[in-house]
Amino acid sequence: MSYLSTTNFLDDKSFADKWLYTMRTGELDLSWMNARTEKINPSPQNARRGLTYRDLDLGTYGFSDVPEKVRENRSYAPRGAEIPPGLPDAQPEVSRKSELWAFNTEGYYEEAVTRQWNATTDIPWERLEGAELPEAIGKALSQLMTFLTEVEMIATDTPAKWLPRLNPEFIEVRAFIASQAMDEARHAEVFRKRALTTGWGLMKASPMNEMALKHLRDADSFSEMSVALHLVAEGNVLTMFRFSEYLSPTDVDKKIFRLVMQDEARHVGYGMQHFKWVLENFPEKREILHKHLDEAENISFAAGAATELTESFIVLAGGGLKPENIEKGIRITTQFQLKQMEEHFERLDKCGMPERKGERSKLWMMYQMGKAAAEQAGLKI
Amino acid sequence: MIKFPSTDYFEALKTRMAAEQERFRRLGFIDATFAVKVSDNGRSRNFVLEFEVFELKNVREVDSVDLKQVDFAIEGDARVWREMIENIKRHGEADTNHDINTLTHFGEQLKVIYDGPDGHDKLYRFMESIQEFFDLSSGVDVSFN
Repeated sequence: MSYLSTTNFLDDKSFADKWLYTMRTGELDLSWMNARTEKINPSPQNARRGLTYRDLDLGTYGFSDVPEKVRENRSYAPRGAEIPPGLPDAQPEVSRKSELWAFNTEGYYEEAVTRQWNATTDIPWERLEGAELPEAIGKALSQLMTFLTEVEMIATDTPAKWLPRLNPEFIEVRAFIASQAMDEARHAEVFRKRALTTGWGLMKASPMNEMALKHLRDADSFSEMSVALHLVAEGNVLTMFRFSEYLSPTDVDKKIFRLVMQDEARHVGYGMQHFKWVLENFPEKREILHKHLDEAENISFAAGAATELTESFIVLAGGGLKPENIEKGIRITTQFQLKQMEEHFERLDKCGMPERKGERSKLWMMYQMGKAAAEQAGLKI
Repeated sequence: MIKFPSTDYFEALKTRMAAEQERFRRLGFIDATFAVKVSDNGRSRNFVLEFEVFELKNVREVDSVDLKQVDFAIEGDARVWREMIENIKRHGEADTNHDINTLTHFGEQLKVIYDGPDGHDKLYRFMESIQEFFDLSSGVDVSFN
């Protein structure tokens, strides 16, 4: 155990005597009944929606007035509670609002809670019975699911790793991050289940993918992690899920991808709103965000171009392994990859960073090259 | 028989959505406003659908769609919309070639237009609710112009 209490209570006679005295005499302390806290009467703004975190944004309990630097509370005392002396320092690593806050964080959390689904019971698995796929399609689908399971396992670890490091004053962000970890665990589950139900088992792990994913897990700060995970990686994965839904060979796969895309889009929403929040409130951080993006774009390009992913998409999009299938598959997959990059820059533009559409970003230059090559090959972009 | 496109068509889906309260509650909050544009011979009819909490709160026909007032719009030829609705009627839900994401993905059949990516991403945040909303069309007898 790395933490030991500073007192051995079981051997502390005065502590044990006080406990026994209270039981024997019924003399209560009751000082907690006079806690110096604010009395409020929150109620739902919309009865259909219920009592939300936003409805609690009142006085000392609210999130709107949490300062940029949280100095007073380094414990698990809930925001708004009286903080007596003697609370241990929980040593939160992230105590600046600019590191993690996002517009509408509380809304994303409420949405996450109501839109949870169950990979065991909400997918019509029984419809797969008798739905045989051609070998190349079945294997490509399983390879895609293998790749995505890897993605989702690190996507579970990463928010979970940061959760205990966030100052408990930011209870809404912590709740959202906890819901994200649950979402990602469910994604890993559903992709594993689908890979195994193809009948081909799992296919091959991807070194390129895992190298990129490690970058997300090992980010130096929460903000760097959020830029890399929520905004860049999940933005790309959102486009990938939509493409996968488009290519899905069965209605079961369609349903899976429709459900995972909902969660992914919510995570991207948080990432965008955090990015916007920082740019609007702390313009001096712009250059730091550029540096985070430089690296995040580099690794996301690498993962997106991984052989195990690209080739499975080509086979699924083309419908097989014949030359005409491959030609068709390359055409469609290239369209998707360019669309993925285009949507990434569209998001950055809307967040307030239009200058990435230029020489500032090597990925933008790569996108321009890819687009020109595709147009030269007669592809409609 | 209810004509498509018309406010009556969307009102019929709205009624069915309310009747299937438990199903849509299970899918979760849907807070999005989007437009449906149906083009026919160079003219278009436009409908704005405003979803809140678990239901379609309001539907109205408008002369034109202001993309700043909606999260996104789905536009397409009346022929494509008809094919989608007939497919839903036939199968009880959209088959793999006729769901909203497939029809809109590369913008070749239906197209998603938007002012900002926040609004655009709402289509995907609420995708299953939106798909199941359109799937309610299987219980409506629809006629086309």
